[in-house]
Amino acid sequence: MRRSALPSPALKVTFTQMQYLAQETLRGLQRGGWMNWAAISTVTVLLFLFGISLQTSWQVNSLLQNMGSQLEISAYLRPNLSGETLQKQLGQLQTIASVELLPRDTAWKQLVADLGATDLQSATEALGQNPLVDQLKVRARSGEQVPKLAQMLSGFPEIEHVSYLNEVMQNLVQLNQGLGWMGWGVIGLLTLTALAVINTTIRLIVVTRHQEIEVMQLVGATTTWIYLPFLLQGLTFGLLGGGLAIGFMAIAHHFMAQLLITQPAFLQSLAQNLQLTTVQGALLPLLLVGFGSFVGLSGSFLAVRRFLVR
Amino acid sequence: MMNPLVLPQSISTQVERSQSERAEATASAAAAAAATSYAIHLRDVTKSYRETGFSLRNLNFVVKQGDFLFITGPSGAGKSTLMKLVYGAERPDRGEVRVGGQNVANLSGHRLSLLRRRLGVVFQDYKLIARWTVAENVAFVLRSQGVPKDEIVRRLNPTLKLVGLQNKADCFPTQLSGGEQQRASIARAIVGSPRLLLADEPTGNLDQDNSLQVLSILKKLNSLGITVVVTTHDLHLIRMGQAPVARLQNGQLKMISTPGSEAS
Repeated sequence: MRRSALPSPALKVTFTQMQYLAQETLRGLQRGGWMNWAAISTVTVLLFLFGISLQTSWQVNSLLQNMGSQLEISAYLRPNLSGETLQKQLGQLQTIASVELLPRDTAWKQLVADLGATDLQSATEALGQNPLVDQLKVRARSGEQVPKLAQMLSGFPEIEHVSYLNEVMQNLVQLNQGLGWMGWGVIGLLTLTALAVINTTIRLIVVTRHQEIEVMQLVGATTTWIYLPFLLQGLTFGLLGGGLAIGFMAIAHHFMAQLLITQPAFLQSLAQNLQLTTVQGALLPLLLVGFGSFVGLSGSFLAVRRFLVR
Repeated sequence: MMNPLVLPQSISTQVERSQSERAEATASAAAAAAATSYAIHLRDVTKSYRETGFSLRNLNFVVKQGDFLFITGPSGAGKSTLMKLVYGAERPDRGEVRVGGQNVANLSGHRLSLLRRRLGVVFQDYKLIARWTVAENVAFVLRSQGVPKDEIVRRLNPTLKLVGLQNKADCFPTQLSGGEQQRASIARAIVGSPRLLLADEPTGNLDQDNSLQVLSILKKLNSLGITVVVTTHDLHLIRMGQAPVARLQNGQLKMISTPGSEAS
């Protein structure tokens, strides 16, 4: 006799339970109406900002790491002074690996080209004269020598201003930290808002379904069975919010890419340096969906916790 | 002077028994074995509400498997509270409420849910979900217990047939008469094959004809072995029911009639 190909009873029960939970979750979402969108949009905004903050933080950190490998000091001479003599003088010092002179005319040509202008003469005439000064690019033999060397260079009367990457890096680190704290503060507030909105939405759905819940309790449905669909509704808010935030970030990237095509070359090369690594690119959407799920589940758990834990 | 209690063979109430008698009964192994065979066993149950001053005092009461019992009494006497104590929606301040041998007062969460699957409850206001059809309302019990779909279909039609609603399966509650709604409510209460059916004023909103139809269904279910307890203050229904009657008044439950004797 041919054996029956029907699924086992346990499998059938599991399938029925899954089907029931999915149907009840959908039914709850239908009951939520516009409150669903309030919850989903709050989660979307939260996750979008979370994604942007995280991405910016990764990008700035990567930029800082790249910059940190460079040991160059820029010494800007006083106006109308030539750097050739000083270049020779500095080249004899032990602590200096190399000194490169960037004459003001060359620097001006580069800048005009970078800005996308083609007529050098008209650009110069527009400002009256070349506004730049001669610049010496001094490379130290080791990173530790850079601050001391910069201090020594600033002591030369010909040199008006010295800048090196450590200074820029410090500023960038401070800016990154400031922006980071502000970003996390906003994300914290938005997380609380999202939790409150999801909590309220789920509570409203519980209230509108109180008659069904009462009947379910009387006919022997377990508490977990009754309230699990509400937790799944919260999870759905988080997942949908995460999906939308990923979509919005992709759209934002697309527009940025479009915008960069028409920008000067140095901005484009800067943007190239800001690209995420493959791992970061894969991790970001996972983190968005994970954080969204966490917020969604937490918000709905807060709404039904008094029923679940009693 | 109060008439002495006439206890039917299968139903007894114990009123104001002495401590020694109670101790003897508890100690008896035979009594303990019998207790598990009771559908409902109330021992020294006290329940009071400070706000309203209402109370049930030291109720001692048993209903055996397969019995049919009316509980009557004036409005506010505690009939619904008594039912709630049995299905675990209320807890006694003192005493034990045993259903099928299990103390309901000690149950909560999952264990209470499992107990409720073994009993059906019918309400005066039906408690049907208006947005669902009769079939959906009845199937909801099984769905919410995770019963597979084909099993639900298998059980649904005979249940609806039993209450005479096989042709109304796709109707919504608002399309039904009060009697039909109550029959749908009964179908929902029995679709899970309970051993005990509690009906709280099931005919309170019905005319005489519909009340008798509901009674007829309840008697039929009883004849199938289901223990049925009905609270009502409908004397006509009690007369037609030909079943033992207990009266709840002033917090005390007393047997007032058995089949063959006139209900007072």
